[in-house]
Amino acid sequence: MKQKYIMISGFALMTSILAFSFYGMGKSLASGESEHDEHRFSSQKQNPLYLEECGSCHMAYPPQLLPGKSWSKMMQGLEDHFGENAELDEVTSREIENYLTQTSDSSSYKKMFRNLGSQTPLRITELPYFVHEHDEIPSRFIQGNDKVGSLSQCNACHQKAERGQFDEDDVNIPGVGRWDD
Amino acid sequence: MNLKSLICLVIVMMISGLTMADQNNGQQLWNSVVNKRSCTSCHGDTPADIGKHIKTGKIIQPMALSVNGERFQDGKKVEKWFLRNCKWTFGRECNVQEKADILSWLSNQ
Repeated sequence: MKQKYIMISGFALMTSILAFSFYGMGKSLASGESEHDEHRFSSQKQNPLYLEECGSCHMAYPPQLLPGKSWSKMMQGLEDHFGENAELDEVTSREIENYLTQTSDSSSYKKMFRNLGSQTPLRITELPYFVHEHDEIPSRFIQGNDKVGSLSQCNACHQKAERGQFDEDDVNIPGVGRWDD
Repeated sequence: MNLKSLICLVIVMMISGLTMADQNNGQQLWNSVVNKRSCTSCHGDTPADIGKHIKTGKIIQPMALSVNGERFQDGKKVEKWFLRNCKWTFGRECNVQEKADILSWLSNQ
């Protein structure tokens, strides 16, 4: 009797585990997440004004890489933009700020903002999640690599960075090749 | 002639007087170095060649009109870049004369 009870309990437990596994799988497939596309944002329309005004000096970083409040703070200080003057007229500036904050705030991709607390970072490369994701890459591949130079040059290695795709499958470090950690 | 017309005439005369562009002065200003910064820091030594942003490394298309016909066609864009870049390079805004001189020189390259 006792043995039969154990068998039934075991069967029930196995069924529950299986059921939960299938549920989890279905859920992750439904949201478009899998092991290979976990660093990909939902594609959004690119803003021509943002591409023109910001993208003429550097890669037009996808808005999802910083919290909305960080973009606001950045847009308020364009006269000293990491040591450069990047000032814009008020109308242009406001439109770009709206695009950046709204796209970031409405995104479901929030991994980048893990462990941020109440901070309002201005540099993507200082986000704790970003640091964690890049901490195993030797500096000779980045700072010591003429074709990269700095971690802020996302698209030097992430071939589809401007389209918001940062999957490891798309990484190609110049002079080094693919990177798998 | 009323006062308003007179003021307008004086302003027009001042502007036309100021904007007698001198491309030699433009060239001199383009190549001048202030606190280790110069227009050439990002645009390169030859305006007909591509430049490279000194910090981000982003490619900057040539400034010489002869090889890049898209330059100087949009007044608003020209003013925006003069404002940003004169402040970065010289630590101040460029005046009308200086802008005219630089435009004159680049347009003849």
